Amino acid sequence: MGAEADNRARFAKLVTPYLSHAYRLARSLTGSQTDAEDVVQEACLRAFRSINSVADTNARAWLLTIVHHAACTWLRKNRPAALITVVDVAAVEAKQANSSEQDAETPETALIAKADRARLEAAIASLSLPYRETFTLREVEGLNYREIAEITSVPIGTVMSRLSRARDQLNELIERNRS
Amino acid sequence: MTNSIPSSPSDNPIQLLHAYMDGELDLADALSVERNIAANPKLAAERDRIIALRQAIHENLPREPIPPALQLRIERTFGLRQETSRPTWRTLAASVALAVLVTSSSTWLFFGSNATRTMEDAIVAGHIRSLMAPQPADIASSERHTVKPWFNGRVLEAPHVADLANGGFPLIGGRVDVVGGRTVPTLVYGRRKHIISLTAVPAAGKPNSGPKVSVDNGYNIVHWVANGVSYWAVSDVSAPDLGEFAKLFRATQS
Repeated sequence: MGAEADNRARFAKLVTPYLSHAYRLARSLTGSQTDAEDVVQEACLRAFRSINSVADTNARAWLLTIVHHAACTWLRKNRPAALITVVDVAAVEAKQANSSEQDAETPETALIAKADRARLEAAIASLSLPYRETFTLREVEGLNYREIAEITSVPIGTVMSRLSRARDQLNELIERNRS
Repeated sequence: MTNSIPSSPSDNPIQLLHAYMDGELDLADALSVERNIAANPKLAAERDRIIALRQAIHENLPREPIPPALQLRIERTFGLRQETSRPTWRTLAASVALAVLVTSSSTWLFFGSNATRTMEDAIVAGHIRSLMAPQPADIASSERHTVKPWFNGRVLEAPHVADLANGGFPLIGGRVDVVGGRTVPTLVYGRRKHIISLTAVPAAGKPNSGPKVSVDNGYNIVHWVANGVSYWAVSDVSAPDLGEFAKLFRATQS
């Protein structure tokens, strides 16, 4: 058994079980299947190179952290415009603080609960990148705040504010586009 | 970086409510949020919106799996394909079967003539995909008290999990499949060296029926409906073995 075979065995054990999670995160960040495939392949190369640095117990969060960084690199190179919204978070947040206050009076929860796939995908796609990523990691992948904070390299307080605002914005979008 | 939520992570009641809904608060903070919800209709409305959004996501937004072609490409790149103990003819057969399924299920989407048939296709495809993956289950455990709670938050309703080890069908674990655009729970059982996938699709209002035996792409299938859930057992074990499995499982449901 050479080192190469050991690495392959570790990759099969620690990375392949989480490829769908990696793909969904990449898809959410890049917004397209082809781009997500590029990002996942690049992330797998990075993961393979550092396969000996990961503890067996936390492979999923480790892989998703690599996907996060690979996607950011990819976006900087291919879609610099997508990252500009990251910088503009403060303005978006200010806008949301106003709109969510007005809407809190008339919750149309039944309408939100019945939102179909197309409407949900459109609403999620229109979130700014950090909101979309945080929301996806929580509601689709079911990760806890500590894991999300590690993957996205921000404090837990930031995870909390991104998550509550992402949900506010989604609910508002779904209600607004009801007709 | 902080490694756990500090005792007062935020004084923003809305953010605390979200953290409460995400199960991130300790008991004292959770109780305090519950008191706030009871006293403040605005917070109660926000809670209802969080629940509604979560319900929509879980019911209507499927958790898309990695495209099988990409998975194959990655496994080839890192030389994992030759490393697996499974013979290559099986991988080949599975790819061909999957291609056939993809073609036939898109045909069904276009003509939409037979919902049950489409569901059967999707369920068999889930079984085949699991055979191509390194492990047939996302949660590997023979302990039903571990497998059942794992489904909470991943599917709308955690399935009935039976311990059939005494009957020769040990529980291997569980995974989430996508059927008809919804995430549904699949239990994975073993029979000697073979895998049995048991997918439980919510079917509220459907009368109890079955078991009905069929064959799809060389896989044996037993289908029945019990207590508003449509069950599909798929495997390459012999039809009598799969029938025995269904009989034992159904016996635990009454």
